Amino acid sequence: MQIIPLFVAIPLGAAFFIPMVGRKNPRLSDTLANITTLALFLMALSVIGKATQVYWMGGWVPRLGIPVGINLVLDGVSIFMLVTITLISFLVTIYSIHYMDKFTSKARFYSLFLLMVAGMNGVALTGDLFNLYVFLEITSIASYALVAFGGQHEELEASFKYVVLGCVASTLVLLGIAITYAMTGSLNMAQVSTIIGGNFKPIHLFTMALFISGFGLKAALVPFHAWLPDAHPSAPAPISAMLSGVVIKTIGIYALVRVMLNVFGMTPLTSYILLVLGTISMVVGVLLCMGQDDIKRFLAYSSISQIGYIVLGFGLGTRLGIAAALFHLINHAVFKSLLFLNSGAVEYATGTRDFSKLGGLKDKMPVTTTTAVIGSMSIAGVPPLSGFWSKLFIIVACVQAERYGFAAWAAGVSVLTLAAYLRMLKRTFYGQPGEAQPAAREVPMSMKLSMVALAALCVVMGMLWMPHAQRTFLIPAARVLQEGLTYASSVLGM
Amino acid sequence: MDLVGYTILIPLAAGAIVRLVPDAFKGLKEGIALVVSALTFYFTIALFREGFVESGYFGKMLFRMDTLSSFVLLFIGFFGLVMVLYSLGFMRGKGNLKEYYSYWLLTLGGACGAVLANDMILFVTFWGFLGFTLYMLVMTGGPKAAGAAKKTMVIVGGTDALLVLAVAIVWVMTGSTSLTQESIPTVTGLSAFAFILFACAAFAKAGAMPFHSWIPDAAEHAPTSVVAYLPASVDKLLGIYLLARISLYLFNLTPGMQLLVLIVGAFTIIAAVMMALVQHDLKRLLSYHAVSQVGYMVLGVATLNPIGVAGGLFHMVNHAIYKGCLFLCAGSVEKEEGTTDLDSLGGLARYMPITFVTCLLAALAISGIPPLNGFVSKWMVYQGIIEMGRGGGYLWVLWLVAAMFGSALTLASFMKVLHAVFLGIRERKAGGDPKEVGLAMAIPMIVLATLCLAFGIFAFSIPLSGFILPAINGISWLSVPDVSQWLGWWSPGMATLFIVAGVGIGLIIYLAGRLKGTRTSSMYVGGEILEPEVRVTGTDFYTTVSDMGFFSTMYRWAEARTFDTYDIGRSISFYFIKGFRAAHTGILPEYLTWTLAGLLVLVLILLR
Amino acid sequence: MHYALCLALFLVGLYGVMVKRNLIKIVISLVILESAVNMFIIMIGYRKDGIAPIMSKMMDPEVFASRSVDPIPQALVLTAIVIGLGVTAMTVALAMRLYEKYGTYDIKEIRNLKG
Repeated sequence: MQIIPLFVAIPLGAAFFIPMVGRKNPRLSDTLANITTLALFLMALSVIGKATQVYWMGGWVPRLGIPVGINLVLDGVSIFMLVTITLISFLVTIYSIHYMDKFTSKARFYSLFLLMVAGMNGVALTGDLFNLYVFLEITSIASYALVAFGGQHEELEASFKYVVLGCVASTLVLLGIAITYAMTGSLNMAQVSTIIGGNFKPIHLFTMALFISGFGLKAALVPFHAWLPDAHPSAPAPISAMLSGVVIKTIGIYALVRVMLNVFGMTPLTSYILLVLGTISMVVGVLLCMGQDDIKRFLAYSSISQIGYIVLGFGLGTRLGIAAALFHLINHAVFKSLLFLNSGAVEYATGTRDFSKLGGLKDKMPVTTTTAVIGSMSIAGVPPLSGFWSKLFIIVACVQAERYGFAAWAAGVSVLTLAAYLRMLKRTFYGQPGEAQPAAREVPMSMKLSMVALAALCVVMGMLWMPHAQRTFLIPAARVLQEGLTYASSVLGM
Repeated sequence: MDLVGYTILIPLAAGAIVRLVPDAFKGLKEGIALVVSALTFYFTIALFREGFVESGYFGKMLFRMDTLSSFVLLFIGFFGLVMVLYSLGFMRGKGNLKEYYSYWLLTLGGACGAVLANDMILFVTFWGFLGFTLYMLVMTGGPKAAGAAKKTMVIVGGTDALLVLAVAIVWVMTGSTSLTQESIPTVTGLSAFAFILFACAAFAKAGAMPFHSWIPDAAEHAPTSVVAYLPASVDKLLGIYLLARISLYLFNLTPGMQLLVLIVGAFTIIAAVMMALVQHDLKRLLSYHAVSQVGYMVLGVATLNPIGVAGGLFHMVNHAIYKGCLFLCAGSVEKEEGTTDLDSLGGLARYMPITFVTCLLAALAISGIPPLNGFVSKWMVYQGIIEMGRGGGYLWVLWLVAAMFGSALTLASFMKVLHAVFLGIRERKAGGDPKEVGLAMAIPMIVLATLCLAFGIFAFSIPLSGFILPAINGISWLSVPDVSQWLGWWSPGMATLFIVAGVGIGLIIYLAGRLKGTRTSSMYVGGEILEPEVRVTGTDFYTTVSDMGFFSTMYRWAEARTFDTYDIGRSISFYFIKGFRAAHTGILPEYLTWTLAGLLVLVLILLR
Repeated sequence: MHYALCLALFLVGLYGVMVKRNLIKIVISLVILESAVNMFIIMIGYRKDGIAPIMSKMMDPEVFASRSVDPIPQALVLTAIVIGLGVTAMTVALAMRLYEKYGTYDIKEIRNLKG
């Protein structure tokens, strides 16, 4: 039994199964969804450190070195992404047990949620460009629906804007894939990369522009970011956590980096474009984030800024830069999910997300406060929490690549991030008690549990840079991306 | 695990444990805090006696204690114990005690770690962690302290981000992360930039301008014991330690860089003491002095000659002692009177004699009156500046004048404090007379005041030969080959002379006070009968200064926070924020236009 | 020539999405955009005087390979159409719900979320 297709098949199956049996019984839906995500997480853990494996769908193995079928590739980066996705989705489903009680039709929620997970796992695993597009769209459609899940004014508005922009981006990606197929006659990433082999014709460069803007929109890089601050806050908190935590990273950054580094291969020009895009996102995102008065909108803009860091790291193209970017990617997944869950807890307890009505929740909600402080300090890069290490290594990587200006921007944005998060902490948890405060109580057990788990991860994730963890988890992933075009031989050579 | 490990890990672990202790166990957290800080002090003494310690983990020399760090470590341990003792009395009955003692112990462990660290990344880890514990400690002052805590963390934590960049640059330049590696000349732009970034972090921690503005705010709202512990003593030790470490070990300063540091020092002395003159709150006033005194340490270290550096380092220790003592006195006054507003205090000398005497000693020490410790170290700094002047140039006169003038103004402003708090007439209040503080609070004040005296009178035999000289001799290019040279400029005869002079001046001051006291005359104000409440509070002593044309403008701007780096940064950011927010109109077609414009630009760049 | 037609259709779609204010017209423009790309993919596999890519026993593989149109784009387009249908259904549903809530189809009026 091959484990690779199960990463897609299990959540896809569960997504259809849960609404069938769980419509009348919300607790059954909870149980099934949690079992599914836990199983996925354990599966992802079990493949850490494995060598590259390729699964050919339907047993269509390549003939004479030419791939004929669709393949799923489990290499270092895929494992890395799978662990990130399944870890966050597991903790988020735990949180949803109590949080989603206030919504009707939990079964449908889990169905869409698992569909999204299936799509993301597919994106992380696939070795085929068109297949990538299909999984991308599965994830996107599920997330469009989940953003509108509340069904109120803002939710619908945000979802519509998200759909239109997302649809344009998907079209650009599809166009890019079509042109690639027309040029190379293949859709297999490995095959395409051997055919292009680093010789760029203008049409290839045009395709790159399509991919960068298409995936860039999914990743919410400035200036393609405008949907994110509407869509992410409008979704229910667990979904916000998923969207900011893993969705933009998987269907945006991972797809972009996979295509740019492994299929086309990095050139100095594309490297520079990624650096600039990353820096602009970093700066604009954090400035916008500083001015927000809605806690979830605040977090959403901060995601744009942090995505900027990740892209900056990838843009360097060095081993250290890519490893640091991947490190920041998983760290950001953890602490941004945590912070969105915190914001959900605040909304759950007080019924508002407005800074002007919040304040002084410290004594009423000690667990939420403590975890939010840990999450905020981590994202602001306060040692010894995880965010400090990944930012440190991104800055070191920038300096090492002699990109001093970018390093200075990264350090400067770190200061602004700190200021922004301290403002959030002051306005929400410390400071004078707000008008929404009297009724506040600490949130139920399942919500506390997943927040505490994520906060604990924030504390220990710095360990990923310890030599052993680095060798088994981070470096294999970074190597796949850094060695770029050798990806093809490792996939087709089997 | 060795002694180094214990010194760092035991307070850190204890801090984590205290955070988790249920509130039901009364007195447990205080007990743990006291025992652990005593233990840590014992460890630091043991380490200090060893003199030089190295400790490696994971095949790297992560910790190294040399003559520079050993005495800083000793004093961190000392202040940890003394201030915990004070807290037992001061914080009794207040809320948030669990957080207070937990972050207190974490601070202790972190500070020991930062001083002992030899690996730069490890150093930055401890250093940044200290910023966080400081934030949480200021936050224990309650909801009102939230704003001050935020400002503190933005400045201190923000400069940590710069420190990260500096470490990255040094690592890439030299391939080593050791803090004690071969010194790097600051001749290239890059190394100069790295030095400036390091210096920013040191200045922010120590509170030199332009990164000082968190100290007055934090002092106003945080518990006074926290202010005495961190901004007044331990943060000074750490900040100046880092400055000394980078200027004497890690970098080889060019005259230009040296000039930069000197300017910061001189400017800090004058500007901060001018602000201190016109304050109406005791804690705010003391905190401006805490900023001003940093200037001496910075000047001393920046002279880069043995006497000056020794003076700077000695002043760092002295300042921690007397400023710690002053804040503790302020805390005692606050505890008894419920306020630190100079306008409503007065006449406490009669009710709180111990507090008065300790405060007087510390105030005289900070003003540089012989034979107290502040005089000795300031005098050494002057000597250092003159010594530097022998190398030529005229700028050294400027530094000397700034230092001396600052000293005079310090004395002036402490006259005001002593009068406003302890002398004069006590405003009548409900709730009976104030009492002298309890033993737990009195002992720390007495210990610190005694040290002020001891380090002044026995300056050479205890502190200078005990730890300052070894620290100077630990730096090869700075060391004095012949110790008798040191004896030359600090002869016992001279010391005696100063003591005599000091006693004489003290007598004169005392007599002047007596004279003033005897000259009573009845007031006649147009036949009105005056209430006894009409009294001179002392805060108006120097309103003349703030009324002068040039100064009045400066003060007005300073009150409006025109010079506050934090506020300048905030207004600049909010200028951009407004613009960016206005651009996000919520209209979908505009967002689409951005997307397509982005695509177009990408296509043009890629296909050019 | 036919590629130019695809491009024209693509631009029409983009124009509609960017300029039209009515939600339904935006949805229609999105569909046009997708159709343009779908048609482009079909064009890639097109071969003049080609035969349907259905292999029968009687046909010589060599001849088949040289004459039939490329089957992969057709498979791709089928998938893309299905996906497009899903997105369109989603969008139309959203547009209807938006009209219920906001009482307008004008996208420029629907701007509660900004800043």
